[in-house]
Amino acid sequence: MKINVKLIGLFQTGRFKQQELDYPVDTKVQDVFADLQLPQQHFGFALINGIHAARDAVLAEGDHLVLLPLLGGG
Amino acid sequence: MKFNTKDPAANPAGIFYKRGTIDLASGEISMADVPCRNLEDVLGGFGRSFQDLAGRKIETAYCDENPLIVNTGLLTGSSVMTALRTYFSGYSPIKGSKVGRPAAMWSTGSGKFGAKLKWTGLDELIFENRAEKPIYVVIRESEAGPVVEVKPAAHLLGLSTHAKIMALQQDYPDAHFAAIGQAGENWQNNYMGAVALSTENQLKSKEDKCRFAGRGGMGSLMGYKNILALVAQSSDKPGKLSSAVKRANLNVIKGGGSARIQPLSRGGGGGTWAAYDVLQEFNAVPLNNFRPQGNDLPEKLFRENVECEYDIKSEACYRCGITCHNNISEKRADGSRGEFLAKFDYEPLNLLGTNLGIHAAGQAARLIQLGDNYGMDAISLGVTISYALAYNQRHPQSTILNGATFGDYAKIRELIIQAGEGQLPQIGQGSMRLSASLAETAYAYHVKGLEIAAYQPETNPGYIWAIAGGHMSMGSYGLLTREGKADIESWVKGITEDKLHIVGFDMIGLCKFFDIAKGIGTQMVVDCLKSEFGFEVSIDDLRAAVRRAFLRGLALEFRQGYTKAEFCLPAEVHENPNPHIKLPNITSPEFIAELEKRVWQVFEPELVGLLD
Ligand code: SF4
Repeated sequence: MKINVKLIGLFQTGRFKQQELDYPVDTKVQDVFADLQLPQQHFGFALINGIHAARDAVLAEGDHLVLLPLLGGG
Repeated sequence: MKFNTKDPAANPAGIFYKRGTIDLASGEISMADVPCRNLEDVLGGFGRSFQDLAGRKIETAYCDENPLIVNTGLLTGSSVMTALRTYFSGYSPIKGSKVGRPAAMWSTGSGKFGAKLKWTGLDELIFENRAEKPIYVVIRESEAGPVVEVKPAAHLLGLSTHAKIMALQQDYPDAHFAAIGQAGENWQNNYMGAVALSTENQLKSKEDKCRFAGRGGMGSLMGYKNILALVAQSSDKPGKLSSAVKRANLNVIKGGGSARIQPLSRGGGGGTWAAYDVLQEFNAVPLNNFRPQGNDLPEKLFRENVECEYDIKSEACYRCGITCHNNISEKRADGSRGEFLAKFDYEPLNLLGTNLGIHAAGQAARLIQLGDNYGMDAISLGVTISYALAYNQRHPQSTILNGATFGDYAKIRELIIQAGEGQLPQIGQGSMRLSASLAETAYAYHVKGLEIAAYQPETNPGYIWAIAGGHMSMGSYGLLTREGKADIESWVKGITEDKLHIVGFDMIGLCKFFDIAKGIGTQMVVDCLKSEFGFEVSIDDLRAAVRRAFLRGLALEFRQGYTKAEFCLPAEVHENPNPHIKLPNITSPEFIAELEKRVWQVFEPELVGLLD
C-alpha cells in the first residue's frame, strides 16, 4: 500500500522531506520508523492524517504519516 | 550547608544553610547558620525564598522592605551534571495583580556564578533596603568562612552586562560574575531587567556568551537596590565524582531526557531550536504577535536555512555534557567562523525574530544580542514589542512609539535601544501596562502580568496556572502538540499532578534539561542525593516538597491580590480563534470554564493554611 511519509527536523538529514513509499498491509508506525532507520531516542510522536497516533497504530492505504522528533522547551 | 541528619524530610532542622544578610542602607553584614524549616528549605532556590517572601507584606516592588534573595540549590556546585543554577527572588516589578500589588517571582540561570558562590561557603544572600550609590558586592572564601564586601561601582555605571563582567574580570581573574545591564540601572522605566551570569567560555573568549536569569525583572530589582554586580571568588571545588553520580550523569547524556537538547553532531536533537520544525507542522510557531498565518514564513529561521549562511557552534557551561548553547557567528567568505552574534534558543529566537516579523537570521541574532547586552528579559521584551507592532498594524493612522510595524528591523532595533536605556517606559514596563494604557488588552500576550513564552496559548492553557511566567513553571506546553491530549481529564491531571513538577528544578540547583519530562522526583535524583550527602530521601518526599512549593506560589499570588478572573489567557485566543492552527481547540470558553472548575477543585483545598 502507498503511504505518504513526511519527516520533520533532524529526521530529514540524509533522507527526505516527503515521499510516497510502498509498505505491506498491516504496517505499523514503528515499522516505518525502523525501516527508515530513524534514531529511536529522538522519536517524539507521529501523526496519521493529522491525528496523533501511537507507535503501534496500523497504517492504511493512502495514509499521510508525519514522524516528528521530541519537542523541548527553553 | 551543615548536615546533622541523613533524613532531611523527617528532620529538616538538622540541616543548616549559611545565609548572609546585607543591609544596603547601613552597610551592616551578618552571617547566620539557619536551620531548615522543611524539605523545600533544604532543596533551596524558590522553595526556600518563597517562604521568606511570604513573610513580608509588600505593596510595591520598589520599596525598601522588598528583599532581593540570591541563593543556590542543594546540588548547585556538586558534580551532578547541570548543577550550576543561581536563583534570584523578590517581589517583581513587572508581574503584578490588577490591584497593583507585585507578585513574588524567581528567576534562574546557569553559567558558573552559582557554583562559585556555593564554593565560597555561602548558600544565600539577602539584600535588604537599598544602597545610596551604585555598588558591587564581592563574596569570597576565607579560612574563617565566607566574607562579603560592598564596593563602590561608579566605574561600572552605563556598561552593558558583558562589559561589566569584562571590567570586573580585570580585578578578579579567578572569579565569576552576575551583572545587570543598563536596563536594570534604569529600573524606573524598565521593569524587565535581567541578570547576566558569566560562563567559562565568555571569560576565556571575551565574547558576550553569558547565561541569563531573565524572568520577572529581578535585574531591575537589583538595579533599584543600586547593586550593579556580584562577584563570587573561590577556588573550584567540583568534588569527587562518585559512581552513583557518574551513572546519573551518563544517564542524563545518553538517556532520553536531554537527547533533544544535545548537538546534532553528537546525535542529539540540536537544542530547543528544533521546536520550530515541530510546531510549524501545526502552524503553531508564533508569528506577528502570536497570530500564525498558516504560511511557511517561520521556516526561514529553521536551523537548516540558518546554517547555510551562519556558523553554528554547540557550546556548554562548565563541565556540562548537554552542550545546549547554539552559538551563532558570522561565516567568513572562506567558511571560517567570524564575529560571534548570539545564542539561538527557541524562545529568544522566536520572540525577537518570527514573532516580530523578522525572518532574517542575522537580524534576529542582532536583536537578541542587543537585548542581552542591555540586560533585558528576551521574552518580556519581545512580547511587549510585538504587542506595540500589532497595535500599529491595527491603527495605521494613529501609531504609537516610532510607528514600527512587523518586520521593520531598523525601527524595532531602535525600540530595543530606547527601552534598554530607560527612555521608553511603554516598552520597558511590559505589555500589561502598555495595553491597559491603550485600552486594548485582548491581544497583549501576558498571563497575570508576565509575558508568555513562544508556545501559542491555544496549545497551552496550562499558562494560566504557571507561577513564574511562561512554560518553565508549568510544563504543559507539549501536552497537546506532543502528546495529542485534547480531553479535560488529561489537562486536569497534567496541570494538577504531573506538569507542575517542572519547578522542582528551580529548587535543587539543576537545569530542566537534566530530566525535563520527569522532574526531580526520580530515582536518579534520589541516588545523587544519597551519594552527595548520604541522604535517605524518597521519590515521594521530593514530589511532596515540590508540590508544596508550587502551591505556595499559587497561594502567594492570591495573597498579592490576584482574583480568579486574572487567571486567564489573552482574550484574543477565545474572541478570535486562529483558524490556521492545525490542532483541536482546547481554549474555547466552554473548555476553559470546565478546566478552571476542575483545576481549582483540586488546588483550592490544598492552598488553605499554606502561608500560615
Ligand atoms: S543544560 Fe545548558 S544551560 Fe544547563 S548547564 Fe548544561 S549547557 Fe548550561
